[in-house]
Amino acid sequence: MALLRLENITKRFGGLVAVDDVSLEIQEGELIAIVGPNGAGKTTLFNVISGVFLPEEGKVFFEDKDITRLPAYKRAPLGLGRTFQIPRPFSSASVRENVAIGAMFGTLADKVSVDESLEIADHYIDLVGLQDHRNKAAGPLTPVEKKLMEIARALAMKPKLLLMDEAMAGMNPKDIDEMVQFLLRLKEEEKMSIIAMVEHIMRAVVGLAERVMVMHQGAKLVDASTTEALTDPKVIEVYLGHSEGD
Amino acid sequence: MKVNPAKYYPLIPVYAIYLIMFLIGKNMTGMWELMAMLAFYCALGQAFNIFLGMTGYVDFGYVAFMGVGTYGMALAITRLVHFKGLGIGLLIIGLCLAMVMSTLLALAVGAVALRLRGAYFAIATIGVNEGFRYLIEGAKIWNGSEGIIFFAQMNEAFGREMASALSTFWADVLVLIIAALAAFVTLHYMRSKIGYALTALREDEDAAKVMGINVTKFKIIAFITSAIFAGLLGAAAWAIKTPYVFPPEVFEIHYTIEAIIIVLLGGAGTLLGPVVGGLIYGLSKYYLAIILPGFQLLIFAPIIIIIIVLFPEGTVGMLKNRVRGTTLERYIV
Repeated sequence: MALLRLENITKRFGGLVAVDDVSLEIQEGELIAIVGPNGAGKTTLFNVISGVFLPEEGKVFFEDKDITRLPAYKRAPLGLGRTFQIPRPFSSASVRENVAIGAMFGTLADKVSVDESLEIADHYIDLVGLQDHRNKAAGPLTPVEKKLMEIARALAMKPKLLLMDEAMAGMNPKDIDEMVQFLLRLKEEEKMSIIAMVEHIMRAVVGLAERVMVMHQGAKLVDASTTEALTDPKVIEVYLGHSEGD
Repeated sequence: MKVNPAKYYPLIPVYAIYLIMFLIGKNMTGMWELMAMLAFYCALGQAFNIFLGMTGYVDFGYVAFMGVGTYGMALAITRLVHFKGLGIGLLIIGLCLAMVMSTLLALAVGAVALRLRGAYFAIATIGVNEGFRYLIEGAKIWNGSEGIIFFAQMNEAFGREMASALSTFWADVLVLIIAALAAFVTLHYMRSKIGYALTALREDEDAAKVMGINVTKFKIIAFITSAIFAGLLGAAAWAIKTPYVFPPEVFEIHYTIEAIIIVLLGGAGTLLGPVVGGLIYGLSKYYLAIILPGFQLLIFAPIIIIIIVLFPEGTVGMLKNRVRGTTLERYIV
């Protein structure tokens, strides 16, 4: 049974086809990267999976349950967690409260009290290394700290599938390597699947994922193992343009 | 379920202020009316804060809930006065009716308006109080524009002396109790998942949804809670205190504006804010009217502007940031 299955998803905004007939399957415990240049439809696809947008065509299945029309807030308790491309912290709340909100309304929603959620939050704040900012308001954090806080918040939801939208954009190579190691460790320790969306940081993709889906102009271009996908002529063409002469 | 008393420490300053207000009013001659007015503003702020402060939504039609609450009490007294032996139970029925009516109105308004966001919500609610007023007047519901006058029924139900004590003393005590209850509920919400959900949706509604928060549900909870306290406040401060109700008076948008000012002066979303805001607003209004009769609004407007500019998070919001990391933090929320 696939954890997540997308069947022929199409999402249009007026005349613009943002996601064009994309199908995808993620197995439990898998870590895949979705790559593609700006405007390829990656974020839109994420929004369809997490329920921010409803697709015009196609179906979304999570653990074989059809969630295509399920409101966004009902998907989190099933085990879908996500971070945003541009971090969206609850600015006036402290880091601890932000992360606790994840625990409170995620897969543990009916099982944990507020106090337990705050304890869970502490655990994940330590894990991402934000312990010095625990009681600070989330609004004034630096962009990288905000990203880390969002990851902690998504992890506190105890998701089965974590959707990471551009988790590494704006980071320096050292931070990227650390983040890649961190995600690999998470995948093992928390036993979750991860879909990481990456625009162009191939350094991250190579270290991170065994499998890559490349998107271009809304459509799926390639879905293959990382080495295969990144050497595929079609992918090179998308990123670098036509090669002259050959 | 274990209750951690430290969670409720922030109620101490709030209740201390209410107690001091009560004692000043009770023991100093001529102060009761002023304290009653301050209590009304504190209660108004405390009730409105549950919605405006916690969700960040501005409801311009808020006074309508106070209006229907006033009608609830008036109707209970006028229709049930003939059942002898209800005694003070009649007031309780009135308060319950006020709660039921404000809840129903909140459900009706909320079902439509809470689908809208931000400024659109504010605009949609602007007409609620006026609309309700014209409905009552035009359709001649509950005596239409003639209103309901029930001095006689108050006397009949409770006796002349008790009726007088109710309107000059107990109504104000009831307002203080309502303010205290609203403060308790506010803190209880803040400390429960409801408060966390409301914070999330106030800051970023879409992110909150993706985090698993049913934003509509929590908005409606805050809206109805806030409306219920408004209904109770109308029943106590308007119906019991002055036993008559006229549609133009109880649906006056002026009170909504006052509620907004009080919450913003004190600090939206804080527990102590509405109390401080209520005191600043009430005292300035009262003393400016004495010192500079006729010019009070002219002086008052710049005072409000200065406070809002200096403390955009309200006076208590500013204080909260100051005490962050000290022991006082536990008491000022």
